[in-house]
Amino acid sequence: MPCLYRAKGGIFLFSSILSGALLGVNACIVHVEADASSGLPAITMVGSLGGEVRESRERVQAALKNAGVDIPPRHITINLSPADLRKEGTAYDLPIAVAMLEALGMIPRGCADGILFLGELGLDGEIREVRGVLPIVREAQKQGIRECIIPMANASEGAVIPGIQVRGTEGLEQVICFLLAGKAEREKMMPVKQVDLAALMKGSDDYRGMDFAEVRGQEGAKRAAKIAAAGFHNLMMFGPPGAGKSMIAKRIPAIMPPLTIEESLEVTSIYSVAGMLGERALISRRPFQSPHHTISAPALTGGGIPPRPGIVSLAHRSTLFLDELPEFQRNTLDSLRQPMEDKKVQIARVGTNLTFPSDFMLVCAMNPCPCGYFPDRNKCRCTEPQIKHYAGKVSGPILDRIDLCVELHPVDISSLQERREGENSAQMRKQVEQARAVQEERYKGTKYRFNGDVDVADIDRFCELGSWEKEYMEKIYKEMKLSARSYHRIRKVARTIADLAGEERISKEHLLEAVMYRPVQEIWKI
Amino acid sequence: MAEKKVDQERIVYIQWLQSCNDLSTKSRKQVLKVFPDPGELFRSSSNVRAQFLTPGQANILDKHIQASKGVEAMRDLYSRMENEGIRFAVLGQREYPEKLAEIPDAPLGIYYKGNLPDNHVMTVAVIGSRDCSEYGAYVAAKLGRFLGEHGVPVISGMARGIDGIAQKAALEAGGESFGVLGCGVDVCYPKSNREIYDALITCGGILSEYPPGASPIGRNFPARNRIVSGLSLAVIVVEAAYRSGTGITVSMALEQGRDVYAVPGRVTDRLSDGCNRLIRQGAAVFTDPESFLEELQETHLLQCVHPVNQKKSNELNQKKEMEANLPESLQDIWKLLDYTPIRVEELADKLGNTKEGMLQTVEMQTAIQTCATGLMELVICGYAKQVSPGYFCRV
Repeated sequence: MPCLYRAKGGIFLFSSILSGALLGVNACIVHVEADASSGLPAITMVGSLGGEVRESRERVQAALKNAGVDIPPRHITINLSPADLRKEGTAYDLPIAVAMLEALGMIPRGCADGILFLGELGLDGEIREVRGVLPIVREAQKQGIRECIIPMANASEGAVIPGIQVRGTEGLEQVICFLLAGKAEREKMMPVKQVDLAALMKGSDDYRGMDFAEVRGQEGAKRAAKIAAAGFHNLMMFGPPGAGKSMIAKRIPAIMPPLTIEESLEVTSIYSVAGMLGERALISRRPFQSPHHTISAPALTGGGIPPRPGIVSLAHRSTLFLDELPEFQRNTLDSLRQPMEDKKVQIARVGTNLTFPSDFMLVCAMNPCPCGYFPDRNKCRCTEPQIKHYAGKVSGPILDRIDLCVELHPVDISSLQERREGENSAQMRKQVEQARAVQEERYKGTKYRFNGDVDVADIDRFCELGSWEKEYMEKIYKEMKLSARSYHRIRKVARTIADLAGEERISKEHLLEAVMYRPVQEIWKI
Repeated sequence: MAEKKVDQERIVYIQWLQSCNDLSTKSRKQVLKVFPDPGELFRSSSNVRAQFLTPGQANILDKHIQASKGVEAMRDLYSRMENEGIRFAVLGQREYPEKLAEIPDAPLGIYYKGNLPDNHVMTVAVIGSRDCSEYGAYVAAKLGRFLGEHGVPVISGMARGIDGIAQKAALEAGGESFGVLGCGVDVCYPKSNREIYDALITCGGILSEYPPGASPIGRNFPARNRIVSGLSLAVIVVEAAYRSGTGITVSMALEQGRDVYAVPGRVTDRLSDGCNRLIRQGAAVFTDPESFLEELQETHLLQCVHPVNQKKSNELNQKKEMEANLPESLQDIWKLLDYTPIRVEELADKLGNTKEGMLQTVEMQTAIQTCATGLMELVICGYAKQVSPGYFCRV
């Protein structure tokens, strides 16, 4: 039982402790203020608080009692400032406890200065993990705060940020002892957590068990996947069940270049805010998101109270895979329009607008018909109107954004027993990286990163065609009765195909191959 | 003058009798034997009917008479029909098609828009499944076009699939075609064949046993099929699965003494099972339009309007010319294309295999690129068709 400091003469004090609040995937600093005065013993909490923050009062009182602290009867007011910013989550338990202790004079004044506190309290005083630690620690470091105390379970996550000392704690008692101790002993009581960032990032290209060499046959689809990954184009796979659509989709993150540290921190922040980080300190590999087709629009794009990132944000910088595309509700697919257009999701809340990033590559899969086996007429008995109707379910905003559509063939025994060596993921990734390097050079200083991002207005600038090629493109446009949207899509994809081939000029061959990848709805004139 | 009026009255009542769907054609004729003046039948009392007709017939007629509107309404309907260009040919009259009059259960009357088939001209029925393959579509179109060019009217049901394709091709080639419907002649079914429907009225005709406005209910179609074969000299089944509606048409054709031809297909193709089975059961084998037409002309000692000439060799020459126009790289791909769609990867494999050994899959990637560009070039020049994202076939 620590020996608590007792202020002489019962001077009533004010305390302000540093903490943090989440704003989307960013954070801002919150000051947890406590004031003790005379009056009926009570604890009042103010500052635009959500339900679980209000419950802090109960948790903190029980935790303090079980940590051996006897709270004197005072009227305590707790304010979380800025008072007009909505506070959510349970991370304020610890800072509130510390603020109370300082206001009541039970710990020396100023002993907690310059330290940011985060943590949920159990009734027994245990300090439990919270979500969103990474963005908050990052913001703290930016604001000049040099020390923080956070739950042990989140310590590795926070330690990733350089320039700030991160300490992990297991219980309230430990924190109190730490605060009571002099500077010299503090390090021994609660050491600073260190992580090796390089080691964490090292596994970033290890996608064991997810290699393209495992996919037998489907060479056409593999090529399309390569083109899609290289230019960040949206891909649609079309084929019977069991052909390998999901298998290929899962392997696409593996052929994208490894995440940079900055991207990694971005993605980790999103997962942290979503509460999906778990034991990991850092997400170094591109995640793969594959929601079921019964998902609702808000779950897909994000929202809720407190606002959480949706699946599209969890797929940021990576792949969002929609399997069985025609089975998705139309309004769910419609809700993807804004995130795909802006590359972020904007959620409006009282007094504030939050943004969750959502720059993802869309990969979708669909069967060719309701039974799934078209054009194998030996198995498929669907009528032509049924087939057209099924394909027609995919329309509008999604169809407009599909740049590549490739057909997978039914798997037969000969392709499963295929002994020929296919390209493995490492080889494919190398080609993708080369193509991306070219794009990095091309788009330096512009708002674009990849060929897939380019707006219609800039296509002439970045996907330039020679005069002969331009004429040939016009011929294609006339003969195939293309739409304007198709025309632009073809040029962008041709640019990526040329980049993959290491060629600066887009040639007729690149254009022709790009035309082949038009969506099935266009081929069938649905 | 009075005779004409009586005739017209009789027709109105025959139409009325025909519109009773529950009576079979046979029954209707029997009833007419008993009541030669259908007007009298309409005005008769139920006792009289019960006395002279079978109980079943009397029952049905009772209900039909109850449900019918008055004479004035029927006459109105008749004149309205005339205004819309819908005419009615009655069995026994001059305009009723001869071939149709010969069949065992020839319809009492036939509604039509446009014309009826000429009795002195060879006609051929082309039928097949509604969900046909690229191969079936190609054969149907080629056949339809040939018949159209040679002045042989094509009879069919204007249905989705083979029917529509053959009739459209015949019309586009400048020939005549007649569509027999399972609904009223003023109802276009299926809606997707609206263009063909409109063209048939001017270059042929639309025929039906059913009164104007009748909807295309399922049980009308087998009955309709007997008229399709009834109007023709021969019936060609282009593509049919094992259990196909065309089977009914074929049985009726045989009953009527028509020649039945079937287009053979691959034994691995379920869509050709029906045709192949017909051949096994004795149907004649159709291989190409020229020999078919020659055979038909010989058997029936008739000549078509434009006799078959050297067009066959012209087509072969045309193909050779097309091939010669292609650059060599594309020729290799073009030769490997068939009317059955083939996958890009399969084509790439075949292309690579003609050289040394099998392609390593790493080389497959390059091979696929070359094939893809070659195929798309062929598509743009009109030599090939992209059936679906990964399948191509010859045009």
